[in-house]
Amino acid sequence: MNENLPGWQRLTGILRDPREALTLSRGNIELWANLLIILCALVFMLLKGATFAVTLTTVFGIWAMLSISLNLVVGYTGLLSVGHIGFFGLGAYTVAILTSTTSYENLRTGEIPTFGWPFFAALPVAALVAGLVALLVGIAFNRFRDDIYVLVSFGFAIISFNVFLNLRVLTRGAFGIHDVARPQIGSWVFDTELELMLVSLVLLAIVIGISWFIVSSSFGRVLKAIREDEQVAEVFGYHVTHYKLAVWVISAMMTGLAGGMFSSWTTFIDPNSFILLESILLVSIVILGGLATIWGSLLGALAFVLLEEGMRFLPFLPQEYVGQARQVVLGVLLVVLMVFRPQGLVGRFKL
Amino acid sequence: MLSYFSRTERLIATLLVAIVLIYIGWRAISSPEQAMQFGFNGLSVGAIYALMAIGFTLVYSTVWFFDLYYGAAAALGAYSVFYLRSQEWLGGQYQVNTPVVNIILAMVVAGVAAWVIHTAFYGRFKERVDATALRIVGGALAMAIGIYTGLVLTFPSYLHITFGPVAAVAIGVAALWGIKYLYDRVSGGRGPRAGLLIAILSGGALAITLGLILVNSPGSKLYLSWAVSCLLAGTVGLALYRGLYVRMRQRSRSPLIMLVASLGILLALTACISIVFQSAPRPLPDPFGSVPWTIGGANIKGFNFFAIGTAIAGFLALFSVLKWTSFGRAVRAIGDDEEVARVVGINTTVIVAIVFFVGTAFAAMAGILSGHDTAIQPRMGLLLLLKGWIASVVGGIGNLYGAILGGFVLGLIEQFAIWDLAGEWKDVVAFGLLILFLSFWPQGLLPRK
Repeated sequence: MNENLPGWQRLTGILRDPREALTLSRGNIELWANLLIILCALVFMLLKGATFAVTLTTVFGIWAMLSISLNLVVGYTGLLSVGHIGFFGLGAYTVAILTSTTSYENLRTGEIPTFGWPFFAALPVAALVAGLVALLVGIAFNRFRDDIYVLVSFGFAIISFNVFLNLRVLTRGAFGIHDVARPQIGSWVFDTELELMLVSLVLLAIVIGISWFIVSSSFGRVLKAIREDEQVAEVFGYHVTHYKLAVWVISAMMTGLAGGMFSSWTTFIDPNSFILLESILLVSIVILGGLATIWGSLLGALAFVLLEEGMRFLPFLPQEYVGQARQVVLGVLLVVLMVFRPQGLVGRFKL
Repeated sequence: MLSYFSRTERLIATLLVAIVLIYIGWRAISSPEQAMQFGFNGLSVGAIYALMAIGFTLVYSTVWFFDLYYGAAAALGAYSVFYLRSQEWLGGQYQVNTPVVNIILAMVVAGVAAWVIHTAFYGRFKERVDATALRIVGGALAMAIGIYTGLVLTFPSYLHITFGPVAAVAIGVAALWGIKYLYDRVSGGRGPRAGLLIAILSGGALAITLGLILVNSPGSKLYLSWAVSCLLAGTVGLALYRGLYVRMRQRSRSPLIMLVASLGILLALTACISIVFQSAPRPLPDPFGSVPWTIGGANIKGFNFFAIGTAIAGFLALFSVLKWTSFGRAVRAIGDDEEVARVVGINTTVIVAIVFFVGTAFAAMAGILSGHDTAIQPRMGLLLLLKGWIASVVGGIGNLYGAILGGFVLGLIEQFAIWDLAGEWKDVVAFGLLILFLSFWPQGLLPRK
């Protein structure tokens, strides 16, 4: 059987001859990963009930948007960016600043302006702000490659965290911003978990659609060519820098969209949601799921959300250590994957 | 990596930097006392960055991949000082010394010791001695080392008795080798055996004197705990090298994959540290008293001098080893081309292992100094690592002079920047400097030849 077939095509083979499921060849890892994660998700949702499943899906939607848009940069273009949390934060803060109506005169001396925009007006602005910043950052970052790129993207994550924390005029510093508006159309306010899940999934569908369009177009093929060999792509007459900049900006805009959704979902944001660690977690989700596949990012996000929420219910793990235990598991998983399967669970590309 | 900018643009950037420097100079002249203060703070912080950058440069210019464990080593070193000393600092309010951690660390040390004994002696003796006996002796030795580590860690308040003699013997042996090396060099390797005897005698005398001093002075426990911490961080680095990087290098994984793997290690180790020690920041007391001296209107702590001295001493030690010993030549050869180095008969695995050990020990020392300077927290490692990397980029990647220069330059610029900006912005300044340097002077201040 062909080793390179994706998981679902092997599934038909297994249906024809069940013995194939037992041959643990390399290609089968994809199938097992798919089956295991989806099965875990189903069992978990069934055990914990409908409300929990809805919340889980909302969180999954946000992480999936993030990982798909990061995968465009890391997987398809081959630029290992650890700084995407900055764009996520930009989107979240834009929506929060534009929609929040609570003022804080009693907390701080200077009066902070409130805008009171509706959510759906603020969301495109969030994407635009993230895109604009990405354009500026991208122009500066475009000439770097490989580990230098990792370093400067670390730098971007730290700079943006510091801006969120210290630019108190806009972001209210460590106090955070309360009462971010929920999505609203006319008089229909999306404030139950189910409605929020709907918004999250619709946004996720948009992100998937855009990414799929990019990936399957000629633009996406140029990106892959850049990933494989930048100089060759240049020789063939493509403006490599323009392509890299374009995908960087698009990815940042979609990340900003996810950020807006996140801030409306939690209704409260502070700089601690946008620390460097979250960015590292995000990169590890993308790599865990698989580079250069949209499905891989979805799978990675699902596995991450399951890990995050599932560990909360482990009986032998004290509550205060859940976050750290999750990091340990993710870190060890990352190391094991890098040694044995550097393209991730269902990936198409090794870094 | 070439700069994409034209000459004129670089000239403009240089002019802008010059204007900033002139502005700082003007500020310094108009209030020299403050400038002195900021300068000393900058040098003190810069020393920590320089230590980071030196070790980082050593590792990076040998294996050419960016090892993020190096950052975790800084946190590990600082936290193991806290681990060893907290009983006395906090007076038993906070019991952190747990058997589980001791046993895990002892096992890691035993495993690494077994590997070191195997690589160092097995090949040399297997012709002459029975292989099974050799394995048993080696295993027993490794286990003894592991048990000893466990003992040292379990009774941190008797560190001067348990670890003092070992440290003294280590220093004595180092002195012996140093004297023998000098003697051989002076006599051209043809001198009478008496020189060797003198070396052994003086080394032994030094070891005994030092050992007696250390055992009889409980005040030396802090310094001994620094040594233990550096050794521990180095050992963990060695374990990772053997268990992971060697394997990945055999599979010829790309540098970026190794980077991601080390990212996983960093994530896991940071989380482990915060599980054991909780994630709140903790202060390490100032070892030299917090009463500052006033020099030229600036308040300068004794610790600042110590940090600067440590960085310079570390640099000199590493520099002389790399420049004048066969080990140093091997390291430089591997940095230039590993394949060729292997072909001419250098045991690259062992040399790179030693490089990892020494490099991570440097990182641990930087972490300890930074902990004594401000406070320790589990996440400190990554930021220190990034600062060390920035320093080495500013100085010139892969150049030891550049590393120490870059460290001090970065520290000074950070401090002088927060003279006018608020203190929160110093990380932004550091990364701004990085992007400036990478864009306009990617070779750094002192390019690698």
